[in-house]
Amino acid sequence: MSEHKYQYTENPFAVTRREFITITGVITAFLALPAIWIKSVASSNNAYIQARTQGLYVDDVKSTIRVSHANIAVNRYYKEFGGEPLGHLSHKLLHTHYINRTKGLG
Amino acid sequence: MSHDKMILKHPLSVRMFHYFLILSFLPLAVTGVLLYFKPLSDAAMHLTMQIHAAAGVALTIACASFFFLAYDRVVLFIKRVFSVSLADLKWFAVLGGYPQKLILRKKVPVPPMGKYNSGQKLFGIFVLIGGSLLILSGWILWGFPHAMPRGFVSLMGDVHLIAGIVLTLFLCVHLFLGVYMFDDFKAMILHGKIPYEEAREMSSLWVRKEVIPISENKC
Repeated sequence: MSEHKYQYTENPFAVTRREFITITGVITAFLALPAIWIKSVASSNNAYIQARTQGLYVDDVKSTIRVSHANIAVNRYYKEFGGEPLGHLSHKLLHTHYINRTKGLG
Repeated sequence: MSHDKMILKHPLSVRMFHYFLILSFLPLAVTGVLLYFKPLSDAAMHLTMQIHAAAGVALTIACASFFFLAYDRVVLFIKRVFSVSLADLKWFAVLGGYPQKLILRKKVPVPPMGKYNSGQKLFGIFVLIGGSLLILSGWILWGFPHAMPRGFVSLMGDVHLIAGIVLTLFLCVHLFLGVYMFDDFKAMILHGKIPYEEAREMSSLWVRKEVIPISENKC
């Protein structure tokens, strides 16, 4: 027995065929059920996204002004006050700066 | 001489899987604790998160490989950890005799056990269920949070946290008792073999019902 350096081992038939099939069935169920659950959860999320997308398309169809450069109020601002888009005054008034406020949240 | 007889307790596939678990779960536990308490700088926390994710992928690959390559061991493990009897209650009543042995230096009668004692069975059940939950929730949180509803992702976050805390606490006990039972520690880390006499004392049911001389195992 020197080739193995051990004299005893586990019986390879410690699990009966019935036990093997039963445990395999339980494993399959425990793998399949979460997969089906997660798929249905993900699908329900897609349903929300699709409903939201549909709502935005409806809003677009209803809107008479669909782009900002066609907005009468914006056009009037540039014409009477701001000068040109991306101009000095508009940059000074409309440009914002990033401030990290997350540290104050605790 | 019966003293020199050895039993192969942990075959190579199990030891290999255990090595990969050490290499993946230990970094996961350490980085998980760091991610929870956030004691480091932003850059260090970012690196911690990357290590956590990489170790998580390694753990998934290790578990999937073991599942497919050593499926018979998986079935055997599940059968053993879920085999509950009255002896397990009696074992828990004296906590396997370990507190008496460690604190009072006293030996109390312990019910005969199979390959795993009742504490190891409980640990096995938690590892099996908690580990599966950790892997599943970890992949959802890391890989697909945008594909799931916000409430579901939040639930997965809670599941990940609770399973992580439970398994990390179990890991501390496992490491201590693993080193305390030094022959078993050597068997799992080095050669897989355990002295027959010790196995007969610690796992008498296993030796009586499942262990056979190697000559009988030759086809």
